[in-house]
Amino acid sequence: MVKKTHDLGSAHSGFKDWYWQRLSAVVLAVLLPGVFILLWSVYIGALDQFGLLDWLDSFVSRLLHTLLIVALIVHAYMGLKVMIEDYVHTGLRVVLIALMLVMMSLFGMWWLALIWAWGG
Amino acid sequence: MSKMLQIEIYRYDPEKDAEPYMQAFEVPLEKMGMKLLDVLNYIKWHLDGTLTYRRSCGEGVCGSDGMNINGVNGLACITAIEGLKQPIKVRPLPSMEVIRDLVVDTTHFFDQYRQIKPWLQSKQPTPEHERLQTPDERAELDGSYECIMCGCCTTSCPSWWWNGDRFMGPAVLLQADRWIKDSRDEATGERLDQLEDAFKLYRCHQIMNCMEACPKGLNPTAAINHIKRTLLNRKS
Repeated sequence: MVKKTHDLGSAHSGFKDWYWQRLSAVVLAVLLPGVFILLWSVYIGALDQFGLLDWLDSFVSRLLHTLLIVALIVHAYMGLKVMIEDYVHTGLRVVLIALMLVMMSLFGMWWLALIWAWGG
Repeated sequence: MSKMLQIEIYRYDPEKDAEPYMQAFEVPLEKMGMKLLDVLNYIKWHLDGTLTYRRSCGEGVCGSDGMNINGVNGLACITAIEGLKQPIKVRPLPSMEVIRDLVVDTTHFFDQYRQIKPWLQSKQPTPEHERLQTPDERAELDGSYECIMCGCCTTSCPSWWWNGDRFMGPAVLLQADRWIKDSRDEATGERLDQLEDAFKLYRCHQIMNCMEACPKGLNPTAAINHIKRTLLNRKS
């Protein structure tokens, strides 16, 4: 319930968030099914462990894997940021979003290290 | 003896009541095609003169009698009694401060409306006659000029409930889009600049309650998407 608007002017920030969220969604929609196809192939026995490693080891796979994890983190960050902004109305919001950004960055770097260090 | 219909109405007088309550009434079904406003008028004129609500034109043009009817926002004057589940539950528009009974404080809502400068802005000298539009340019305004600012959409929007201090809400954004689309308006750039904000515009998560609620059958979500697309085109 608000009576008076505090017009702080435009932050000129919403467009990029919106754009990146949609771009990352498209990348995810294209790449995520590939992961499930690989998993499914293992499950039905069409692909054994070495076959799977051959897939993951190739340069193109690593590139796509990198793109996938970056898109995943960007998408999750943008989505959760919006949810925190929606429901947390105190200064805690800034802390939570910053904390999330740091943790997701760490997770992403760790995952990237796994992708590129694999098999040397 | 005519058939009676059951109705429960939200009552609250901040000067007298500690908290709001629902009051039940029985109203005779007087004629075919009775609207909810007819029922409210019957109560006010015959049963309880203290019942307070806004109304003016009585035909869905002025936008005064927006209220929450059986959980859905709408205009009492064009909502038919037929088809409403009884007892009909009537409450004020959600998320607005109640002045009394069904009358809510719309100060903030219209303050946001003024922020988008809802008038024609032109740098050209005033022409001797009308500012002309082609029929196609005029047709662009269909679907937005019909808005009567009743507030049914904005008060049904969860994003506005949570962040109404900064999110402009569907009604105001539909109006903003109306001026962005107007071929005679020359402040399109400034209008887009003002709206390019994570809260003012992009807080819309396409929940689409606004479209469900609009008594005029308009689609504020589509208008908001049009603003977003216009911003995208400006950027890329």
